[in-house]
Amino acid sequence: MGVIRAEPARMTDWASRSIGAAWRAFDLQLAAYAALLAILGLVMAYTNSVEQGQEVLTGGTTFVRGLMWTGIAMIVFIVATAFDYKWLKTFAWPLYGAQVGLLALTLAIGGGVGGSSRWIALGPFDFQFSEIAKILMIVVLANYLGSRQGRLGSLPSILGACVLVGPPWLLVMLQPDLGTSLVLLAILGGMLFMSGASLRWMVALLAGVLATLPFIWTYVLRDYQKQRLTAFLDPSTDIQGAGYQLYQSQIAVGSGGWLGKGLTNGTQNQLDFLPVQESDFVGAIYFEELGFVGAIVLLLLFGALIWRLLVSGWRSKDPFGMMFAGGLAAMILFQLFVNLGMVIGIMPITGIPLPFVSHGGSSLISLAVGLGIVQSINIRQTRAEW
Amino acid sequence: MNPYLDGRPATTRPLSRFLLFGLAAILAIGGLTTRLFYLQVVSGGQFAELNQGNRSVLQAIPSSRGLIVDRTGRALVINVRTFVVKVRPVDLPEERRDEVVERLAALLGMNVADINASIDGNPGSRFDLVRIANDVPDATARLLSEAGDALPGVEVVIEARRQYPDGPLVSQLLGYTAPVSPEQLDSLKKQGYLPDDLVGKTGLEAYYEDELRGLYGSETVERDATGRKLQVLGNVRQAEAGDSLELTIDVKAQQHAQKALQWGMKAAGLKRGVVIVMNPQTGEVLAMVSLPTYDNNDFARGISNIEYAKLLKDPNKPLLNHAVQAHYPPGSTYKLVTGTGALGDGKINAQTRVLTRPYLMLGATRFWEWNHRGWGRCNIMCGFAHSSDTFFFQLAGMLGIERLAHWAREYGFDAQTGIDLPGEVAGIVPDNAWKQELKGEPIFAGETYQAGIGQGYDVVTPIQLINAYAALANGGKLYQPQIVRQIVGPDGVVVRPFEPKLIRKLDVPRSVLKTMREAARNVVLLRHTYNLVDLPIVVAGKSGTAEFGLRDRKGRLPFHSWFVAFVPKNPAKTAADPSGMKAVGREDSNLVVLAFAYDSRTKGNAATEIVKYYLQQHYAIKKDYRNFNLLQRGNFYQSN
Repeated sequence: MGVIRAEPARMTDWASRSIGAAWRAFDLQLAAYAALLAILGLVMAYTNSVEQGQEVLTGGTTFVRGLMWTGIAMIVFIVATAFDYKWLKTFAWPLYGAQVGLLALTLAIGGGVGGSSRWIALGPFDFQFSEIAKILMIVVLANYLGSRQGRLGSLPSILGACVLVGPPWLLVMLQPDLGTSLVLLAILGGMLFMSGASLRWMVALLAGVLATLPFIWTYVLRDYQKQRLTAFLDPSTDIQGAGYQLYQSQIAVGSGGWLGKGLTNGTQNQLDFLPVQESDFVGAIYFEELGFVGAIVLLLLFGALIWRLLVSGWRSKDPFGMMFAGGLAAMILFQLFVNLGMVIGIMPITGIPLPFVSHGGSSLISLAVGLGIVQSINIRQTRAEW
Repeated sequence: MNPYLDGRPATTRPLSRFLLFGLAAILAIGGLTTRLFYLQVVSGGQFAELNQGNRSVLQAIPSSRGLIVDRTGRALVINVRTFVVKVRPVDLPEERRDEVVERLAALLGMNVADINASIDGNPGSRFDLVRIANDVPDATARLLSEAGDALPGVEVVIEARRQYPDGPLVSQLLGYTAPVSPEQLDSLKKQGYLPDDLVGKTGLEAYYEDELRGLYGSETVERDATGRKLQVLGNVRQAEAGDSLELTIDVKAQQHAQKALQWGMKAAGLKRGVVIVMNPQTGEVLAMVSLPTYDNNDFARGISNIEYAKLLKDPNKPLLNHAVQAHYPPGSTYKLVTGTGALGDGKINAQTRVLTRPYLMLGATRFWEWNHRGWGRCNIMCGFAHSSDTFFFQLAGMLGIERLAHWAREYGFDAQTGIDLPGEVAGIVPDNAWKQELKGEPIFAGETYQAGIGQGYDVVTPIQLINAYAALANGGKLYQPQIVRQIVGPDGVVVRPFEPKLIRKLDVPRSVLKTMREAARNVVLLRHTYNLVDLPIVVAGKSGTAEFGLRDRKGRLPFHSWFVAFVPKNPAKTAADPSGMKAVGREDSNLVVLAFAYDSRTKGNAATEIVKYYLQQHYAIKKDYRNFNLLQRGNFYQSN
């Protein structure tokens, strides 16, 4: 058993040793899987651009914007990795304030389609703060749950976490953004579960939430949200209405077959049958053009990514690190399942993007921040066995 | 053992939760994989088919509508290319609708309300185009098609539109095409009509809709979700142009008839009138004019609701073809039926003389002779020529109502003639059964008298009346009047050649009809029709004055006047036949002319003057024999 010696060392020694150690602790696999997924996202952006008849390399196309966001995301990832995540614990509460503030600001001045307010224009870019709010939520919850080590079996811990999620959740619901609000709940549930919170209380609370569903259905959900939620049950009954996207999406996926039609050859996409084909329904284009084999590759990459996140969490000696990795894994898994489930007709339409692949700068940057923090956790573990 | 030196509590790492989370991830991803396997591999073929069906749609190719020409080949309708503005409701965002409709209204010079009514009255689905404006000027069309995002959902389409060069002259006959109404669409959809399609609404355009329309073709077209056509993938079926109609109508005769009627109506101050010209040897209608009329080009261009309402509200019903779609009391022209019946049934012969008197008494009622004097003892030549009411009262009494009705039906009354125009009415020929059903009592003797002179319950259409006289003129063959002579395919090959359609041969000896024709010539000879006899041609005919409506303060009834004339084949008067009796004795007439003047209040019979003016034009008679004095407003009921 080793002990950390509080012995000053020469600057150069420290630096070289530290960087070497950091590189060894850096999870290369995690970074590689994420990078591959981001590349798939770029491929989809490319195919979308081509199919929309755009000159791919001119400014403003889906592909060029995708390239630019990927570049920014890489820088963000490196910065977040280098940044000592422990500061996050220190600043957890101000970060929480920033999260609520950004969401409130979005609600106040944000723009969106059809009377919603979802994004804020930052110069030429529209930024969706609800995406970074998800990461901030994980930070805040990881800090809170980490600080309650040993008391996690109690009801107050669970309730405390719920109270923390409350304000951001409400602000997101008001935008209204059903998808993100569900992701916030998934993060809450996933992190409580991973923290080892009392299963009995969690089940009891879940039952309570389920009991309020009829109330939410009647008073909280907007008509179009209800329509989208019910359309998936039988899209064929309302092909021209809310079931349209689901129906077209399934046709796209189904017509892909084993190997797909090849990139840029998807007809559903080319002909604009699929609405929001570059963001929420990007999966449909992917499955149509790359087929079942491509689907397996995509799902394996996601599986591997989640596995590496769990490994990072497990290795973390710091409860914050474990909680954070768990929360990020829960978020990605939930978004993956709900988004692709929607594309293949087993989940309702909720407007949740597919991590890495869906076109959208805010989502990609937020994921880069999250993964950077996980890497920061990885390389800053003080190992017990030295 | 706590690995931390600073006394922090060791992290609790619940292994079971990590394993369960991993399991959940495996299940979620496995579930997605399973579903994908089902969609892509198991039922992939089915979706591939759906996918194909989705991007390629079967789209109709409109056929070119058949043309209509008169018997000389003159074009009565042509197809012109026009710009049509349509709206696809699904592409018009609801929140921008008011703004878009307002701009559209300003650009098209239309009412906002009219445009909204069109969009809301859309018979198809929200994905189908709705017709907003026809015949949009080129400049406006260009402006609209370039507006793009400023006018979402608005599309400019090139379409063929009907144009009727002669307009009102033949509007009543040709009718017009107009957009399919929602009610019609239900039944027409099966025949391949589109929600924004045009269909013949009335006249020949409606009657011969199937022939004129042709067969719409179809092509498979690749389209995007908004229905925009990207490219044609394949032609499933070529459109087949519609057949063309060659009419029996002679535009020149039609012009003469219209001119005569317009003159007569103006001179006599009439509100409605009809002129029909036929060839009695074949049943061909050479001219048919019903005034007032309308311009079918207004409908082809898309009539505004206000204009349409004005036409509908007009008390003289310009949209109605009064020659076939309305019936009126025939008055003395009906004495042809009574006379033929009495002769045919042997109640009288050509020589039988019947005492005409100032009036006949039936119970306590006086049935007056029209001149309140009578002409003494009269045979059919005299009675018909003077149009003696008491003569024909007695003949009707001899026949009885049932035989009178029989002879009326023999001449084609009480039944549609079958003319190839829509909306023909059948008129009424009263008999006991008819009245029993209507009023629960049989015909009274006085009503039989009235029926014998074409008054009372009798109503006939102008086309029935002229057709009866055509049968008289040709020796007893009742033909079905026809407007379309032959139908010609797009390749110029005759699809349906002309063929006279015999309804029946009248069940009466030809000698009886010869007597009636001579009596009709006598009408003219006795100057019952004033100077008609002076025309250099032989004309025979019968006038009629039919009372209708309510008596005025002096106890007088308003009346319609009729005149039906026929002219032998060689009409010129000859020295060998100065009276023209030999000429009318033949069965070779090829011209019957009818005039009907609704609500005349003239000194003489306005219809006779209209027929006279027509004949002058038809036979190019230079001298004008028109008697303007007779058309002065004056005594009611002076001639009969």
